[in-house]
Amino acid sequence: MTDVAAMGQTTKDGARFNQGNRLVGLLSRAGLLLAILAVILYGSISNPVFFTAGNFVNVLTSMSIVGIVVVGMTFVLVVGGMADLSVPATIACGAILCLALQAYIGPVPAFAVAVLLAGVTGLVNGVLVGYVGINPIIATLGMGTIVLGIVQAAVGGVIVYGADPSSADFVKSRIFGVPMIAIIFIAIAIIGNFVLSRTFWGRWTIATGGNYSAAEASAVPVRAVRAGAFVITAFAAGISGGLLGLTLQSARPLVGQGYEFSAITAVVVGGVSIMGGFGSIPRAMAGLVFVQLLTNVMVLQGVRTPIQGFVLGLLIAGAVALDIALRKRGVA
Amino acid sequence: MSAFVSTLLRYRVAVILGLTLLVAAMIVPGFVSLTTLSLGLDRGSTIGLIAIGLTVLLIAGQIDLSVGSVFAVAGIVAVMLQPMLGMGPAAVVGVLAGTAAGIVNGCLVVFLRVNSLVATLATMLIFRSIAHWMTASQPIPGTDIMFSITLSEIYLQVFTVRSGLFLVSILLLHVWLTRTVAGRNLFAVGSNALSAEASGISSDRIMFSSFVFASTLAGVAGVLQSLATNTGSPVYGSELTVAVIAAVVVGGTRLEGGRGSALGTLGGVLTIAALTTAMEFQSVPAYMQQVASGLILILLVVLDRTVRTGGKTRRKRCPRLTLFISNR
Repeated sequence: MTDVAAMGQTTKDGARFNQGNRLVGLLSRAGLLLAILAVILYGSISNPVFFTAGNFVNVLTSMSIVGIVVVGMTFVLVVGGMADLSVPATIACGAILCLALQAYIGPVPAFAVAVLLAGVTGLVNGVLVGYVGINPIIATLGMGTIVLGIVQAAVGGVIVYGADPSSADFVKSRIFGVPMIAIIFIAIAIIGNFVLSRTFWGRWTIATGGNYSAAEASAVPVRAVRAGAFVITAFAAGISGGLLGLTLQSARPLVGQGYEFSAITAVVVGGVSIMGGFGSIPRAMAGLVFVQLLTNVMVLQGVRTPIQGFVLGLLIAGAVALDIALRKRGVA
Repeated sequence: MSAFVSTLLRYRVAVILGLTLLVAAMIVPGFVSLTTLSLGLDRGSTIGLIAIGLTVLLIAGQIDLSVGSVFAVAGIVAVMLQPMLGMGPAAVVGVLAGTAAGIVNGCLVVFLRVNSLVATLATMLIFRSIAHWMTASQPIPGTDIMFSITLSEIYLQVFTVRSGLFLVSILLLHVWLTRTVAGRNLFAVGSNALSAEASGISSDRIMFSSFVFASTLAGVAGVLQSLATNTGSPVYGSELTVAVIAAVVVGGTRLEGGRGSALGTLGGVLTIAALTTAMEFQSVPAYMQQVASGLILILLVVLDRTVRTGGKTRRKRCPRLTLFISNR
């Protein structure tokens, strides 16, 4: 039964490769840039604070933490892994361990250990998804629950505070007015873009997401590539969590809540296909900029938090529905 | 020997449930009693009612991650409208709110062809926001505190209203899945929506109704929870999703669709209920309970995966799911 279903799927996968794609892609990218311009325009008119250097630095800082996760999440979506829902847990792992271990082994080793352990989570996710073949959503949902529980158990389920103020100063320091955290984010985004668009690993990632069987037949190590996307995301989330912990100098277990959705929203709004095989870091970054600016405008206009969540949810659903509709148009 | 192993695997729900109960009975003092059974059943019925809807949806090859949020919204609606409509009608409207949520999910997946995982991920966010918005993030008290006592009254020394409702519903689901044409069609759609369509079954209609059914039951569970606690809270149900999916998957329902059973889900729900009750008796912290339910979920899915691929020819190793069907 499932074999027949599989064959039905493969034919559908094949239909994705068509000439319409490029035009549609161009259209959707230009559309997003227009949307960003519209938000900037609206923000500048409606609120005098919006178009100031101070506000943009704020946006950039808040963007950075999510942005690092977005880089990893792009790999997951492009490889056809749908989403990594263990991100809140890996962020919490990064943040809590980074602060909790400071007192014992110093800030830099603590950061390294925290990121490494987050990476191990990603490795388990990767093995489960890539090698065992479990539905990524279920695997990462389950792993997220487990890791969050273990991290909480490790620190006794309480809020953890930092022990080394100098590490906080480093993260909050600025170079030519740009926050250090934003510089780290931009560096990671550039590396991510390089890997995805210029290296063999990136080509394999896109090939695996585009057509799993064809990639496998072309001797692409499809399982390792799928697993790799989750490892990358977990490392990114670990780094992001560590930086978040250092910035806040305190970490509670639910510190990473919501970041998975913010990251997925950014990637999907950027036009990266949830079906895999198509997407790039710059697209995801455009999506991120749009979502963050929109959120910023909503905050400045005093829109209440629940409504912001509502708008983000609508954005995800709308963006995916639009993606599918455009694709259909491209096929016809 | 291998026949024995395969029987064991086939009835693994019963084996797991038996082992859980055995270990709990040995470790936890005072576990073996009617009160525990009644308590566990009542506790399990919240997960169970949602699990019934999710079983149907998973068999149809779809998933709903928004059930936890629907659970909260339905409960809030039922409590908020009590002063205006009275208890009964308010509860009905609460359940209808769940139905409406299901219609939204169904429209997204069936008409707009959004992958059900993504669609319900988005609606999970949206419904949770609505819950916070309606209540201004505050828990809302109901009008009649005595009614919650009526709800938790124990009949025949074992059953509460909730657990009775759950047990009756799951038996009805069993009959529906195994004895009726509609139930059979559901399996057909879940196995292969295209072939089902070709054989004259309206896959779209069945998927749509499955979404409505799942959300309605999440609504029923949410309303009952709110009535039992006399409170509508926007944070209700936020950690239910993993437990419910775990319960359904422990029961042998496949995430890929086309396979599953009501009695399996019953076993899964009872296992999770026994486990949480036992852990609460031993005052295990909440986060360790989460670790346990996460571990069970992962282990069971891994077992399911390896057993299946080990037996047959490994033709289809690609983990992309039939869930993608909705993306054509």
